[in-house]
Amino acid sequence: MKMKILAFGIIADITGKSEWTIENIQHTDELKKHLENLFPRLKNMKYAIAVNLLITNGNFELTDGTTVALMPPFSGG
Amino acid sequence: MSEKKIKKVFIEGAISPSCIADSIAKHSTKKDIGAHSIFLGQVRNDVINDKEVKAIEYTAYNEMAEEKFHEIRETAFEKYSLTCMHIYHSLGRVNSGEISLFVFTSSKHRKDAMEVCSYIVNRIKEEAPVWGKEIFEDESYIWKQNTP
Repeated sequence: MKMKILAFGIIADITGKSEWTIENIQHTDELKKHLENLFPRLKNMKYAIAVNLLITNGNFELTDGTTVALMPPFSGG
Repeated sequence: MSEKKIKKVFIEGAISPSCIADSIAKHSTKKDIGAHSIFLGQVRNDVINDKEVKAIEYTAYNEMAEEKFHEIRETAFEKYSLTCMHIYHSLGRVNSGEISLFVFTSSKHRKDAMEVCSYIVNRIKEEAPVWGKEIFEDESYIWKQNTP
């Protein structure tokens, strides 16, 4: 089971990359834990998670081939 | 519907005053319009920790942003009596003093044009997955935060 991770804004600075693949993570809570272990600075960050372009609310199941985006607060305009 | 779907919002770099003027000029053929409202967002040279912002570099989650802009456009047409609307947002680097957001709404009467323009700008600020990096003269930067 593979998923594509996209990171934006300050999150991409923290992770040091804007796109990568991960495997065998079942849901968004597990993903958050996994990322926060790798990148402790994320623990204090406010960010939204979008799965296949939709912003998730609460824990969300991940399936093969999904695209998960890590999005800090927007600052367009 | 499909014509609205392919409208391009993102522009590489600053939005030039001549592009804005051309856009206004194009509306002279639409004679049922009685009011235009325009919002222009300009990059401000804030001073943060004694350093002046020289430019903002915009990045976006393009695929999601295009969907969001489309949704905002559709809702605006449903909620207000609008003749037409245009949204342009910069990507990449825009220097202070230059324009990075152009929202242009037109309707028969001023109330709709003005209200919907403000509605669209607010929704873009809150919901469009776009991020601005404020770059200082020494090329160091901080990530911009929008004021509510």
